[in-house]
Amino acid sequence: MKLNVLLSILMGAGAALAQQPDQPPSVRHVIGLETIKLNANGHLTIQNGVMQFSTKTAEAKVKASSIEDVFVGTETTQSGGTAGKVVKTAAIAAPFGSGKALTLLMRTKVDILTVVFRGPDGGVHGAIFALQKGQAESTRTQLVAAGAHISAPQTVLKDRTKP
Amino acid sequence: MLAAAAVVPAQQPVKPTPRFYASAIQIELTDMGDVSIPAEFRYAIYERLIEQVRDSRLFGKVYRSGDKAANSVPDLVTLHTSLEAFDEGSQMKRELAPVAMGSTKVDVTALVTSKDGKTLLSQKVGGKVRIWGENLGATNDLAKRITKLLAGSF
Repeated sequence: MKLNVLLSILMGAGAALAQQPDQPPSVRHVIGLETIKLNANGHLTIQNGVMQFSTKTAEAKVKASSIEDVFVGTETTQSGGTAGKVVKTAAIAAPFGSGKALTLLMRTKVDILTVVFRGPDGGVHGAIFALQKGQAESTRTQLVAAGAHISAPQTVLKDRTKP
Repeated sequence: MLAAAAVVPAQQPVKPTPRFYASAIQIELTDMGDVSIPAEFRYAIYERLIEQVRDSRLFGKVYRSGDKAANSVPDLVTLHTSLEAFDEGSQMKRELAPVAMGSTKVDVTALVTSKDGKTLLSQKVGGKVRIWGENLGATNDLAKRITKLLAGSF
């Protein structure tokens, strides 16, 4: 019986780890795209010379040729979504600082991608996105390949976030 | 004989008259000067300012840096921000240590000029994120303070 339970758990875990159909990773739009809400989660794709950010209810398209620069950086953010905020608040209120260890565990490092582009009226836009760690550099490379301009190569992604 | 009590109508608080008026403002990118700042902070300051100033409804139109349509506005004013100091704090320190540690601070000089280049307003403004939040949160605080400064003059 115990073996059956164990096998069921292992099979379930295997299914969970099974490769998902090809889907762009979730990206958070911090600010900069006027048709997208601040901090909206969506998908960032680069196709046919166009960078597109799509959420369930809106999308924004930017021609790669209008991109004047692309920067990558890092930030530490809180994981866990809304539930994570509740847990974190409780952890902060925990007596004698006992919740601090939990808040440490809930920190997630993310890549920050800043895309500077010109709108049709010539206005400068700075669209900032938070991506999974390790995604910004490859996205930058894709944008350059699609026609985006950059001021200087960024071959090293420096983690400036202080410990 | 009782003197008729003088009836004094309750006085409404008088809103100070704005010193300047402009139908539109153009917001320029932050000038970094000699201060090193990550690109996302520079553009976050810029975008937050555009968002906050638009939401404030102080001006009929808020133009981005480089927007050619701004050239035709006769009473356009321009907001310039120059970076004075930047200290990228630590979210971990903010959460683990007393409030005084780990703050991310951004200090700028906010300058508003008229179309003929005259300085209308110049003030140092600082933004911080003390306890909660990502380091980029300091740019939101800075933008709110600059918008409040504009509200005091327009």
